[in-house]
Amino acid sequence: MFATLAGKALVPVGLAVTGFMVVCCLILYSVIREDFHRSEIVYASNLADTILKSTRYAMHKSDRDTLATIIRNVGEQRGVDHIRIFNKKGIVRFSAKPGELDRQVDKNAEGCIVCHQGAVPVTNLGTMQQARTFRNPDGLDVIAITAPIYNEPDCSSAACHVHLPGQKILGTLDIGLSRAEHARSLAMLRIQMIIFTIMSLIITIGGVTALLRKNLFLPVQRMRNYADISTEKNDAPDPPSH
Amino acid sequence: MTGMREHQLSADINETRDSADMLRQELKKEINRLNRFSIRGILALALFLGVSILAWWGFVFLPAPEAVITLLGKPPTAGIISIVLLLYTFSAIILSLSRMASGLEHRSSFSHVGYLTAFFLFYYYGKSLEENYWAVFGAGITILGIESYRIWTFCAESIAQKKEDLEFVTRTGRPPPQE
Repeated sequence: MFATLAGKALVPVGLAVTGFMVVCCLILYSVIREDFHRSEIVYASNLADTILKSTRYAMHKSDRDTLATIIRNVGEQRGVDHIRIFNKKGIVRFSAKPGELDRQVDKNAEGCIVCHQGAVPVTNLGTMQQARTFRNPDGLDVIAITAPIYNEPDCSSAACHVHLPGQKILGTLDIGLSRAEHARSLAMLRIQMIIFTIMSLIITIGGVTALLRKNLFLPVQRMRNYADISTEKNDAPDPPSH
Repeated sequence: MTGMREHQLSADINETRDSADMLRQELKKEINRLNRFSIRGILALALFLGVSILAWWGFVFLPAPEAVITLLGKPPTAGIISIVLLLYTFSAIILSLSRMASGLEHRSSFSHVGYLTAFFLFYYYGKSLEENYWAVFGAGITILGIESYRIWTFCAESIAQKKEDLEFVTRTGRPPPQE
């Protein structure tokens, strides 16, 4: 195969085109995956903010039933893996999973250690640092956001229950979203890129083969036939046109 | 007089035989050199696979990215490195195909291993090696694959030509006609 003219023409072209396409697809896939990941974090962060704003009134009023109902309802939403609110001491006060209530959260766990690694906990983190990804016990990939619940002037001056003004953080909302949809989209993208690369390879090899056949192999074949006939007979026909 | 002419003729024959022997030796040496040179691309590919395995293991023997970032400053972003990788892959393929078309004997394979290793290191210190490993690996296999093919076909054609020349010299005792 490598010794033939077709092989010599097709192997480097096929290798160069396919290889370059594969590299482009891999880089593009990496960039798209990173973009997807950022979008996921922004979406989860916005959702956490929405939930915090929705629960704000119930928190002011110390309406635990309403708060628990909101958390439970959000937790039942499709694609939500977990949602919980824990207090400053790290004890889960509200959760969509009743089994988690009143459990102490390990401060060294992933998602907590980001703020609690120093002697004084960090109170302000960027959106990207608030996010973490992990695999839950059911084997599903999850992206989680820990959003701090800050003490605000109307929290420290409320009539019903008062937090000291010096207390910066009152608790934390932790929400986890399933990454199944994200994984499905990326798998679809991978398949499309593989099909695209294979199609490009077929078109390149097909194009080069067609051009070689038309411009090289057929004229050479006609010349060979002409030479054979000329050798056999004295009255050779006219030479083939190019 | 006749004796002198015979002596002269004998000297000429000996000289021609010596020069043919020398030419044969040179051709054999050249064939051996081309045989050795033909595996250069494969050796570069093997070296790149070795580097890729080290990259796959996360360059455990190198200092952690944080230490190097503290020393040298912030690395370029993964996006910038990817753009450079893309440009490099494109240029390397075009260069290799041009050399193939013009039949040049160029020894560039090992330098490509160096460039590709640098890409692995940049991604490693930019903490994005895991996401971009396959892009560098694909670029390496493509570039070094084309280079190996170029070197191998160049050597195969040159060796075939040299063998023909050797056969001609052995048969006629004269240097082969120049093309």
